[in-house]
Amino acid sequence: MSEAGPAVDTVAVETAAPAPAASPAGPPSGAARRRLLGTLRRRRVARSWPALLAWLLLAALVLAALFGPLLVQADPLRQTSSALLAPGAADHPLGTDDLGRDELARLVHGARPLLLVSFTATALAAGLGTLIGLVAGYAGGTVEQVLMRLVDLALAFPSVLLVILLVAAAGPGPVSLILGIGISLAPGLARLARTLTAREAAKDYVVACRLGGTGAPRILVREVLPNIGGPLLAQVVMTLSIAAGFAAGLSYLGLGIQPPQPDWGYMVQAGQEFLFSAPRLVVLPAALTLLFVVACNFVGDDLRDALDPRGTA
Amino acid sequence: MSAGALVRARLPRLPRPAWLSGTTGVLLRRLAVIPVVLFALASLVFVAIRLLPGSPATSLAAGGNTASAQDFSANEERVTKALGLDQPLLTQYGHFLDDMVHLRLGTSFYGSNSVLGLLADALPATVELTLAAMTVAVLIGVVTGVVAALRRGSWIDASTRAVATVSFSLPWFALGVLAIVVFGVWLRWLPVLGRLPSTLDYRPTTGFVLLDAILQNRPELLWPWIQHLILPAVTLALSMAGFITRIVRASVLEVLGDDFVRTARMKGLSEGAVVRRHVLRNAWLPIVTVLGLQFGSLLGGSVVTETVFSYPGVGRLLVQGVLQRDYPVVQGAALAIALLFTLVNHAVDLLCTVLDPRLRKG
Repeated sequence: MSEAGPAVDTVAVETAAPAPAASPAGPPSGAARRRLLGTLRRRRVARSWPALLAWLLLAALVLAALFGPLLVQADPLRQTSSALLAPGAADHPLGTDDLGRDELARLVHGARPLLLVSFTATALAAGLGTLIGLVAGYAGGTVEQVLMRLVDLALAFPSVLLVILLVAAAGPGPVSLILGIGISLAPGLARLARTLTAREAAKDYVVACRLGGTGAPRILVREVLPNIGGPLLAQVVMTLSIAAGFAAGLSYLGLGIQPPQPDWGYMVQAGQEFLFSAPRLVVLPAALTLLFVVACNFVGDDLRDALDPRGTA
Repeated sequence: MSAGALVRARLPRLPRPAWLSGTTGVLLRRLAVIPVVLFALASLVFVAIRLLPGSPATSLAAGGNTASAQDFSANEERVTKALGLDQPLLTQYGHFLDDMVHLRLGTSFYGSNSVLGLLADALPATVELTLAAMTVAVLIGVVTGVVAALRRGSWIDASTRAVATVSFSLPWFALGVLAIVVFGVWLRWLPVLGRLPSTLDYRPTTGFVLLDAILQNRPELLWPWIQHLILPAVTLALSMAGFITRIVRASVLEVLGDDFVRTARMKGLSEGAVVRRHVLRNAWLPIVTVLGLQFGSLLGGSVVTETVFSYPGVGRLLVQGVLQRDYPVVQGAALAIALLFTLVNHAVDLLCTVLDPRLRKG
């Protein structure tokens, strides 16, 4: 690291220079890693009001999913046979579903699977895609050819089809959803990571590291990754909104968490039977899902502007 | 695409035989990819079925209507035989590929419908839905994109771009269901389920309602058909429209700065004529490219949308197959969707080549 220090600095300044809002380069210590956090701090996130609204909404939904179940006392699984499809009342603020279960409790508990699957699947896609991209971009040659042809092949299929086939193979359930969505979204990220890595690997500081005897894994993790982190992370947050859309859609199809556990997607499907008698059973979870995905979209777009102002990703 | 070009650029270039260069060559090389992609997908399906946890036969048999242990083992045996699981893996793969090539897609585990027959009914419905959605998406996308580009920087531009951003990956089912509630349940303007009312006696000739209405001389089919198509098509179109809006806006802005636009204005053409005759004609190429790229997500969306609207297409067939573990149906539907996707993508590629002679070097 010590021999690489000055070289990294040059690159850091180079990369930060064209950004209009960038303040003068911070402390010149050679930590390229810190630049990523610096970018976030310097370029204020959520500057427009729709973006701010989206951030607040997303935060509210995440908080509700985390702590809501502690506040809402009702059991989302307990059936009250005396109150089937009952409208809102004191004991059931949002009414009950067809089995007499408290709708509010089910909505609050039902947020968790969607959030869990979206975030975990995105993390999986990010990890897998980055790994493939780093290795392919740095190794070049046959390794790169084989990996990237596989990526091309995966991208040639409609991703929903890929997810459904993977889920069909592993059986329905949240783990299958995470694996399916994660694997099917990884190729896009791998492609970007490869392009960025290949570009970075040709630069002097990487060559210097290699000549200095630093091993490939260390170069990739300590030098290359921090320098391609911005655009890559920008693409990852965009992937989050795609993953959220997928997760919601697939759980609607009944491929996610299995009943009787509450889940927004599946609640919509189950509620469709009572479209005419109790449309709220459909409207509430559908609207919440829509809000969540839209918020993810806006936040992703906002973060991308902040992390990758030149639109590399 | 650019990443692919980068990869290719670093390979040593082999001299290409004469018959493989030029327009025909591009055509041939693009067509040659289709069987490769289909082969890969067929193999994926093959592997997916054999990756099932435990014996596929056991889980399949358990998924069927098994009242007793006897039924169960009978079912298991039937499934084992149907999948040919008692044979060595390579033999199975050989048989599988042979079946695929000869379009022997088997019969559904439920009822005794042949998968080919099910697909013959479902494919036209899906093609109708996706084409309708694409048309709507292009209409919305081109109009909003052009308006946003011409009014660059105004509030119209800003709000169009915000909406386009949001619609980037909307959950189709939530939109569809909310559309059902608003237009079907509250306003009662449109029917919400299916493709045609069950009261209409419809016997498919081609399977495409529009063609059949003409062939069978039954214009009364058309209006109910359109009514049933509106909600699913618009639901599906919205997520694509945002994407098209962004591309149209960008490409119109780019073309607007070109010299020939200045010339067209200088010779006194009205702004409308400039946009129609000069700007749009040059902005088409990226739009068509995006249509091809987005068709995959449109097909993916149709899987969900068809389920929401109980629309009898391939997507719903696939979902039902997965949920019932009806593997011949899953296999057939997956292959059909992949075929459709690959064909459309290549058709779009070719269209681009026709539209822009510069691409013929490929």
